[in-house]
Amino acid sequence: MAENKYKKKAQRKQTKAKNILLRDTGISCVDEPTKYVMVANAGLVTGLQQEQLLELTLPYGGVDSIIMLPGKSYCFLIFKDVLHASRAYVSIHGKIKLTPNDSGPLYLAYAERVPEFSHSWNYYQKPPGLILLEEFVTEDEEESLLNCIDWKTTDSHLGQTLKHRRVKHYGYEFRYDINSVDKDCPLSEIIPSECNFLLDRLKENNANVLSSFPTQLTVNHYQPGQGIPPHVDTHSAFEDPILSLSLGSSIVMEFRHQIGQMIPVLLPRRSLLIMSEEARYAWSHGITPRKTDVIPTQSGDLTIQQRGERTSFTFRCIRKGECTCVYHDQCDSYKKKNSISKVHIIDDVLAAQLESLHVHEVYEEIANHFSHTRHKPWPNVVSFVQSLPFGSLLVDVGCGNGKYFGKKTGIFEIGCDHSVGLADVCRDRGFEVFNCNCLSLPLKSEIAEGCLSIAVLHHLATKERRLRAVEEMVRILLPGGKALIYVWAKEQERYKTQSSYLKQDRKNRKKVCDSELKHGQQHSDASKSKDTTSNKASSQFPSLPIHTNRTQFQHQDLLVPWKLKVAGKAELDKTTEASHLESSQEVPTFYRYYHVFQEGELECLCSSVKGAKPIQSYYDQGNWCIVLEKI
Amino acid sequence: MKLLTHNMLTSKCLKGVNVGYPLGIVAKDVKVLETEFNSEFVSRIIPKLDWDTLWNAADSIGHAGDLPRAVCDDYENDVEFLKKVHHVLVEVEVIEGELVCPESGRKFSINKGIPNMLLNEDEL
Repeated sequence: MAENKYKKKAQRKQTKAKNILLRDTGISCVDEPTKYVMVANAGLVTGLQQEQLLELTLPYGGVDSIIMLPGKSYCFLIFKDVLHASRAYVSIHGKIKLTPNDSGPLYLAYAERVPEFSHSWNYYQKPPGLILLEEFVTEDEEESLLNCIDWKTTDSHLGQTLKHRRVKHYGYEFRYDINSVDKDCPLSEIIPSECNFLLDRLKENNANVLSSFPTQLTVNHYQPGQGIPPHVDTHSAFEDPILSLSLGSSIVMEFRHQIGQMIPVLLPRRSLLIMSEEARYAWSHGITPRKTDVIPTQSGDLTIQQRGERTSFTFRCIRKGECTCVYHDQCDSYKKKNSISKVHIIDDVLAAQLESLHVHEVYEEIANHFSHTRHKPWPNVVSFVQSLPFGSLLVDVGCGNGKYFGKKTGIFEIGCDHSVGLADVCRDRGFEVFNCNCLSLPLKSEIAEGCLSIAVLHHLATKERRLRAVEEMVRILLPGGKALIYVWAKEQERYKTQSSYLKQDRKNRKKVCDSELKHGQQHSDASKSKDTTSNKASSQFPSLPIHTNRTQFQHQDLLVPWKLKVAGKAELDKTTEASHLESSQEVPTFYRYYHVFQEGELECLCSSVKGAKPIQSYYDQGNWCIVLEKI
Repeated sequence: MKLLTHNMLTSKCLKGVNVGYPLGIVAKDVKVLETEFNSEFVSRIIPKLDWDTLWNAADSIGHAGDLPRAVCDDYENDVEFLKKVHHVLVEVEVIEGELVCPESGRKFSINKGIPNMLLNEDEL
């Protein structure tokens, strides 16, 4: 009676699981034994660890693999053959509990097949770039290496016991607070001489992966049950590759890729693991804290191995400079380089608003004053204009007051600018000009031999908009035509020489070498007046930092103050002007938006423009500059 | 605005406009400013031009004069012809008026000789 009741319950559970499986995967369960056995009530969701299941089924033998599906409360056992499968089935189904604390036994069912996508354990596959050299050291060498570590060192930083393991550093300390090393503070303890065989041994194994001996060694000691969380070694801290020697005991290390792939790799005792390229940069590695590992046997079955005390020697080369790998998602160097500032302007509409408020409107307000400060052309721009062939058409996009016009006879010059005020000045000086936005030039394609974009792109608030502006210039160029682009550089000091922008600061002029330069008093265009707070400061874009004029840039996206000189004063000579302004209390301040370019950024931007090739790039007076030629 | 500039301008940048060329001219004030003539320069410019557009533009503002409807052969050596072209290209200027998109009819004002080709956000 009681037996009948259990049988019925087992059938009920089985039927329920069969229906779920069919619904989830389209796989049917069958009555006749197959080598695929579904475990109906244990899976990743129920907290099942495969070694538990394997331990339970080992007495019946012949388990080829265990398939655990993410998010499922069932799993599969694949047996060598139907015989092994049915032996385990008969003994376990409805009878045996996974752990003594479980409320009921396991329920099994035969399946026609197993799902194709699966996190099955594949010991024959390895992440790309991973090399495993077995029997890398002899047992004698293993012993001498284990004995050379003095764990007794009492320094709190050295020989620290982390939550999950004991660790000791040589050469440089790896700091877990910053996930990096302090490259300026080498440790007094250098890598033990017992490790000196490393380079020669690599050569003997035909694995010349290192050009020099590693500069940093981390020794980790793991008790059974201890592990290390999955991590990618900080790109900027260490070179490629990373080497790790396993001593004392074998262990399974899990490699994970961000797309969800997981590959367990058995690191046999006395083997050397080499993580290079993708395995070093893009795959995380970690050790699950547990006392046993599931590993394949010689015959291909799975079995359980008890962990012993394991000590790993991880050899790394400290990186000089930044990482340049292509695995950007995991690269801190790439992220640092591309985290433009705290402000990320991603929205095109928002960018247009920002440009309207903090570029276009400001230029209208300051047009006359601005024009008066812009009379000295940059010589390299003039040279470019003069290099154009006779009969050329030159378009200056963002021509301002037209200061690069009239420098060469025998060419036709057309200027355009967003600012109506500046276009008026340009026109008054006798030059041909129209108003437009540089993002969509109202000009025919392939008409110009030359195109200028001087101090324009840095007023556009997204990379896409900056790119669009370059594409527009390339569009109007004739094949073989050239565009010259100048943008303000974040780096205002090059080769230990300050740009004229910095030098114009009075303090800097007096003591150019003053190291306190960055903290200099705020100045604006020779005005000595105190910084009057203005309600023109960005209320709509409160997160944009405000730059201190005549100092180094601290951000890439920022507002640069412009202190307006009251009409008429600009005509006065400088001495009079300065003294006059000293006495004046209120000076209207306007804030212009800038995206200052980092080294290489302009080249990078232009490299993604189709139909043009960069033929020259340089740094000129605090600007990054490039010459593009239309193909 | 000189007619040479007009020869290069389009309203293709307007949303929904395919060619936007040539722009019509509604001139309210046209001035003629004498500039230095350089036959070689004019010869170099002529191949860049859309001649019909130039002629029609000049005609529409009453300055076509006896400018031929087509570019004559051997124009490089025809100084009289080059002078006429020079006059129409760079001496005649529209000071006040409008440019008109041939497809959408959108008007762009010309003030103090400066065409305003700025677009509203919703026109992009």
